[in-house]
Amino acid sequence: MPEKIRITITVNDVLHDVLVEPRMLLVDFLRESLELPGTHVGCEQGVCGACTVLVDGGATRSCLVFAAQLDGATVRTVESLASPDGTLHPIQRAFPENHGLQCGFCTPGMLMATCELLEHSPAPEPGEVTEALGGNLCRCTGYQNILRSVGAASRMLAAEAGTPTLPVSTGASA
Amino acid sequence: MSTIERGTPTDAPETVYRWIGKSVPRKEDPKLLTGRGGYVGDLTVPGMLHAAVLRSPHPHARIRSIDTTAARALPGVVAVLTGAEALAHVNPMTAFCAEPVPQHAIAVDQVRYPGEAVAAVAARDRYIAEDACALIEVDYELLPPVVDPVEAMDEGAALVHDTLDSNVVFHRCLDFGDVTGDFARAHRVIRRGVRWHRMGAQPIETAGAICSYDPFDRFMTVWSNTNFHNFLPWSYAGMLGVPNNRLRMIPATVGGSFGSKHLINKVINIAGALTKATGRPVKFLEDRLDNIAANDNVGCDRLYDAALALSEDGEMLGLSLKIIDDYGAYFQFAHGQHGNALSQPTGPYRIRSLRYDVSCVLTNKVQQGFFRGAGADPGNFVLERLVDAAAEELGMDRVELRRRNFIAPEQFPYKVPTGNVYDSGNYPAVLDRALALADLEHWRAEQERLRAEGRYLGIGLATCQERSGYNASEWWFLYDQPPLGATSTPESVKVDIDATGNVRVEIGCPLWGNSPETVVSQVVAEELGIDPADVAVGYADSTTGAVSAGPGGSRLTIMLSGATRGAATTLREKMIRIAAHAMEIDASDVECADGAFRARGAPGTSMSMADVAMRAHLFMHDNPAGESSGLVETHTYDHPYSTPPSADRTDMGVFYPMMSHACHIPIVEVDPETGVVTVVKYYAVNDCGTLMNPALVEGQVVGGIVQGIGAALMEEYRYGEDGTLDTPTFREYLLPSVHEVPEIVLEHVQTPSPFTEYGVKGAGEGGRLIAPTAIASAIDDALKPFGARVEELPMTPERVVAAVQSAREARR
Amino acid sequence: MKPAAFAYLAPRGVEEAVDQLATHGAEARVLAGGQSLVRLMNTRMATPSVLVDINRIAELDQLDSDGDAIRIGATVRQRGCELARLVRDHLPLLAEAGAQVAHTAIRQRGTVVGSIAFADPSAELPAALLALDGQVVVRGQRGERLIDAEDFFVGPFANSLEPDELAIALRIPRTPAGRTGSAFLEVSRRQGDLPVCGVGAIVQLDGNDAVALARIALCGVHQRPIRVHDAEAALLGGELTDEQLEQAAHLAATAADPIDDCHGSANFRRHLARVLTRRALLTALDRARREDRADA
Repeated sequence: MPEKIRITITVNDVLHDVLVEPRMLLVDFLRESLELPGTHVGCEQGVCGACTVLVDGGATRSCLVFAAQLDGATVRTVESLASPDGTLHPIQRAFPENHGLQCGFCTPGMLMATCELLEHSPAPEPGEVTEALGGNLCRCTGYQNILRSVGAASRMLAAEAGTPTLPVSTGASA
Repeated sequence: MSTIERGTPTDAPETVYRWIGKSVPRKEDPKLLTGRGGYVGDLTVPGMLHAAVLRSPHPHARIRSIDTTAARALPGVVAVLTGAEALAHVNPMTAFCAEPVPQHAIAVDQVRYPGEAVAAVAARDRYIAEDACALIEVDYELLPPVVDPVEAMDEGAALVHDTLDSNVVFHRCLDFGDVTGDFARAHRVIRRGVRWHRMGAQPIETAGAICSYDPFDRFMTVWSNTNFHNFLPWSYAGMLGVPNNRLRMIPATVGGSFGSKHLINKVINIAGALTKATGRPVKFLEDRLDNIAANDNVGCDRLYDAALALSEDGEMLGLSLKIIDDYGAYFQFAHGQHGNALSQPTGPYRIRSLRYDVSCVLTNKVQQGFFRGAGADPGNFVLERLVDAAAEELGMDRVELRRRNFIAPEQFPYKVPTGNVYDSGNYPAVLDRALALADLEHWRAEQERLRAEGRYLGIGLATCQERSGYNASEWWFLYDQPPLGATSTPESVKVDIDATGNVRVEIGCPLWGNSPETVVSQVVAEELGIDPADVAVGYADSTTGAVSAGPGGSRLTIMLSGATRGAATTLREKMIRIAAHAMEIDASDVECADGAFRARGAPGTSMSMADVAMRAHLFMHDNPAGESSGLVETHTYDHPYSTPPSADRTDMGVFYPMMSHACHIPIVEVDPETGVVTVVKYYAVNDCGTLMNPALVEGQVVGGIVQGIGAALMEEYRYGEDGTLDTPTFREYLLPSVHEVPEIVLEHVQTPSPFTEYGVKGAGEGGRLIAPTAIASAIDDALKPFGARVEELPMTPERVVAAVQSAREARR
Repeated sequence: MKPAAFAYLAPRGVEEAVDQLATHGAEARVLAGGQSLVRLMNTRMATPSVLVDINRIAELDQLDSDGDAIRIGATVRQRGCELARLVRDHLPLLAEAGAQVAHTAIRQRGTVVGSIAFADPSAELPAALLALDGQVVVRGQRGERLIDAEDFFVGPFANSLEPDELAIALRIPRTPAGRTGSAFLEVSRRQGDLPVCGVGAIVQLDGNDAVALARIALCGVHQRPIRVHDAEAALLGGELTDEQLEQAAHLAATAADPIDDCHGSANFRRHLARVLTRRALLTALDRARREDRADA
C-alpha cells in the first residue's frame, strides 16, 4: 500500500490538513472525502467537463488531477457560489432566468467555467464564451440558453460591480 | 376497425389562461444550481459498499471458468459474484415484452456482446472494487462473432443464442391499404436504400442504483434513476426475488435519460444481488465505460429498402418499407421501436397505403432499448429522403411536392393507413411560417455567391411528424399473441391541500431534466386560482405513488396535465361545495379565483382557501352531509384516446394520436474535399398544440435539434469486423459541443389537440425526430453540383467525401 | 474508471527527478500536466507504480530566448505558451498549432513538453515541433543531451528517452523573419478533438518570390509525426505553382502510412494528407507574401 500524501488544501475557503492516497482523484476527494457532491463525474477522460472546478482560479478537470498534487492549492467548487443564507451568485441567477439548465448534471461544470471566464474577462465576446465553454458537454439544452445565461451573467455582474456586499469570487479566502 | 371520434375540446380555443402558456420559472432549478441535485451518485446510506463490474472484452465467448480467489482475498473486498453465483440471490431479468431467451445481468456460461458483465464486486470503495476486478481470471473460449446483421440472417450463420433456430428473432410483413394496387397504378416508383446507424442516448449521468436488503424483514429498498418505479415495480420485485409488497423504490434526480433509463434493470439486478450476498447496502453506479458498452438502451440500427409510389402529377400513393434492424444480443423491448414508427410512417402526407416488412436480427452487440425518437427518427429520415428524391426525379419543387400532399387542416382527425389517428394539425401554416422565417432569398443568394468562390452552402427542408403520448400497444401489436398485451399507460398525481390551505403535489414520475414540478404547479395554479410558486411538489416512491408510466414518447406534459387537472378539479369542486354550504348559497353560484371562494356577482361574500381547507379538515359537522374530511385526491389519468388493434392487424388501432409537427430549415456549409459539414444556422417552426410553458418547450426542441445534429454528423456505435467495440468512451462516441451548434431560431404555431387537457401535445422528441433528416437534406442541397446524396447517417467527413467521389465516378 | 495504486514522488530539482527515474525505470512515469497520462491511468491503460511529479521543479517553468532559439521548460503550460509574445512573434506555427489542441481548461494544465514526450502520432504539437526543426533537451544520469525532433518520436506513444532521462525543455530555432509564412491546418471530428489529419507548413520566399525554405510536417497519418523531405526539396528554388502544390500534396500522401480507426480509415487520412498539405502550403505562401504572422 503506497504511502499516503499529506496535503494542506483550501476548498471553498475552508482549510484542510489531510492524508490522501496518491491515486485519489480530486473529484472523488471533493465528493467523498469532503462530502461536496456538487462536482459531478461524467466521463473520467477529461472530455465532458462535468467535473470542472477552479484550482488556483483556473478551470480544471478534477477527474484528471490527483488530490495529492494539490498541497497548498486553493479549490473552488459550485458549493462556493451561493451563500448559506440562500443568496445565489449572479451566475446562479442568470442561468435559471434564461433556462440554461434542464437535468442539471453538467451545470456545476458550466457554472465554474463561466466563473473563470467572467473573472478574467468580465465582458467577453461571443467567441470567447464559446471557447471557454467548448470543453463542457451538455446533452439536454443544446447550449443556446447556456450562452444566453453567460451573457446575462456578465451583464448582471457589470451592473452590480463595486457593490461591497456582493462577493465577487476571487479564488482567495474571503 | 376503429372509428374516429371527434374529440370534444375541453376548453374553447379562445380560452385565456392565467398560467398555462406562460414561461413560469422552473421549480426544479434551485437544487440543481447549488450542487444539491440528489443524483444517485450523491446518495449515501450507512454501511454502503461500492460495486464494480468486470466485463467481457470479447463479443462472443463461452465462459470456461472464472477464478475469483485473488479478488475475494483483497483487503476491502466484501463479495464477488459470478453470474452463476448471483442466481442464488436474484432472478434473470424480467422480459419486458417477449424475451425469447433468459437474460442475466451478469452473464452465465456465455457472453454475447463486448462489455457484457461477467462478474461483480462489492468493496469499501470503487477503487478497491476495480482492483478486485483486475484480479479476476476468466478463461474464455472464443466463439465466432455475429457482427453484420445481413450476414446474421443467413442460414449458415453462427447463432447468438443456440436455443433459437435463427438470428432472426422476429419477422413480420404487414400491408395496410392496397399497397400492391397503388404500386401497380403508380406512374413513378422512387426506390432508395438508406442506412441509419446505431446510436445511444449517452446522458452525462450514467445509470445507477443503491440496493439495500434487510434479510430480517426480507425488505428491499432501492434508490435509483429508473423511470418505472411506479409503473412496473412488481417486475423489479420478481427480478430481485422479493415479494411485491416488500419492495420500496425511491426515485433519485436523473441527470438526463433520453429514453435510456426506462428500465435499467441490469444495474438494479447487480446491486440487488450484491446487497443480498453481503447483507449491506450496495451502490452500483455505472462509469462511462459501463454505460456506453452495456447500458441496454441504444437506438435503432437499420437498413431500409424503401419505395414511394406516385402518380404522374406528384400525388403520393403508397409507401413500401423493407427493414433489417440489428437488435444486438437481446430483445428486451421487442419490436417497440417499430410499433412506434407505425404511428406516423406516412408522415404529414396523404399516402394511403403502406407495406411494413421488418426483420429484427440478433447480433453480438449491446441490445436496443429506446432512444429519443424511439424508431420514428429513422422513419422520418427514410420518408423525407424518398420525398426529396421524388421531387428531383419528377422535376418538381420539393416544397410544392410536400404542400400538394399535405393532409389538409379540415381533414383532422385523420386516420393514417396503419390505423393510428392524427388529432389535429395545420401543416401548410407551419410550412409557410418556416419559409418566411428562414429568409430563403438571402440564403439562396449566399449560396450562389459562395459557389462562385468554390464553397458549398446548402439549405435543407424537412416537414415531419412528432407523435406524442404513446399507448403500450405499440410495444406488442406486431405479435398476434403477445405475452403481455398491456394497454395502460397512465399517469397519477396526488394533490394534497392541508388544513391551512397549502398545496402539495406528489407525482409518480421521476425528474429527467424535463420540468414536471413546474408543469404541475402551473396546472394546479390555473385550476385553484393560486400562484405556481406557492405549490410544493414532491416525488412519490413505489409504495406511495399510483401507477405512472413517467416520461417517454413525449407524453409527460399531456399526462401530467390530465392527472393534475383531474385531481385539482375534484378538490376544487369539493371546496366549492364546502364553501357554498358555509356561505349558505348554492354551489353553482360559487367560483374559485385568486385563492378564494366567492359568490358570483357578490365579491364581498367570499372565503379564503385557507378557511375552506380548515373547515374541510376539521369541521365535519359543519360541512355537507356525506362529505369526507380532508382534501386529498389522487387522480390516475389514462391515455385520452386509444383503441385496440384489429385481430388481423390490418388496423393497429389508435395508439399515438396527439400529433405534433414541425418544419425545419437548416443551413449548412459542406467542404467537399475534407467532408467537414458546418451547420451555419437553423430555423424551425414547431406545432405542439397549446404551449404549456414556451421557454420549456423551446429548451426541449433546441436540445433535441442538437442531438439531431449529433445523429446527422457524428454519433455512432462502431464495431470492428471482429466484433470489438471501437467507440467505448466519449473520445470515440462523439457528442456535439457548443462549437458544433449554430444559432437556432424557433417559432411556434399552436394547433390544439381536441383530445387532451388544454389542448397540449408533446414536444420532447421533436428536435431529434426531425433534425437528422433536415440536415441530410441540407447536405444534399450543398452537394447538388456534384450530384451526391445522403443515404446514411451519420454523415461523417469520410462518408461525405466518399459520397462526392462516388457521385463523380457515377457521372463519368 | 479509477487508477491503479501508485507511489507518489514530488522532487524539488531535476537531479532528484532523474535519480528517481533511474531508480524506478520503466515502472515510473513523469507527471507534468497529466491531461493525457491521468486519462490513461483512469482506464488502467497505463499502470505506473510510481509517479514522479515534476511540477514543483522551479527551473522547469521558464520560457525564454536562448540565442537564436526559444527555450520552453517542461512545466510551461500549453496555454501560457500559445499566448506568450515570444512564441507568437517567433514561433507562429507553434502558437497556431497549440491553439487547436483540445480546450482551454486542458491547455491550462497540459504542458508543451509533456505533449511532445507523450508522442501521440495524431497530436498537433509533435508535428509542429518537427516542422520547426525543434530539439528536446534531455537530462539523465549521464548528463544532458539534445535530441532532434525527428529522432525523438520513434513510434506511437513512444519516444527515444532512456528510462532515467527527463525531457526538461524544448529548444526551437526562431522562424526566420521576413517573407515567411506558417500555417497549421487540421481536420478533426469536432473542434478540439485530435486531428484526423493535421499539417504544419512553413514557407519562406526570397526576393524573386522563389521558395527559399519549405517545411511540411503531418500528424495523424503514420506511426509518428512525419516530415515530407522530398516534397520540401522539390519546392526549393522555384515558384509555388499549382503544379508544385499538387506534387507536394501527392508526395505527402505517399509518405503517409495511416491506420484505420473509428475517426477515419487509412484511405481517408491519406486523402486528407493530400488536401491539407496543399491548403497549408497555400496559406503559408499567402502569409509569406503578406509578411503576415499566423493568427494565434
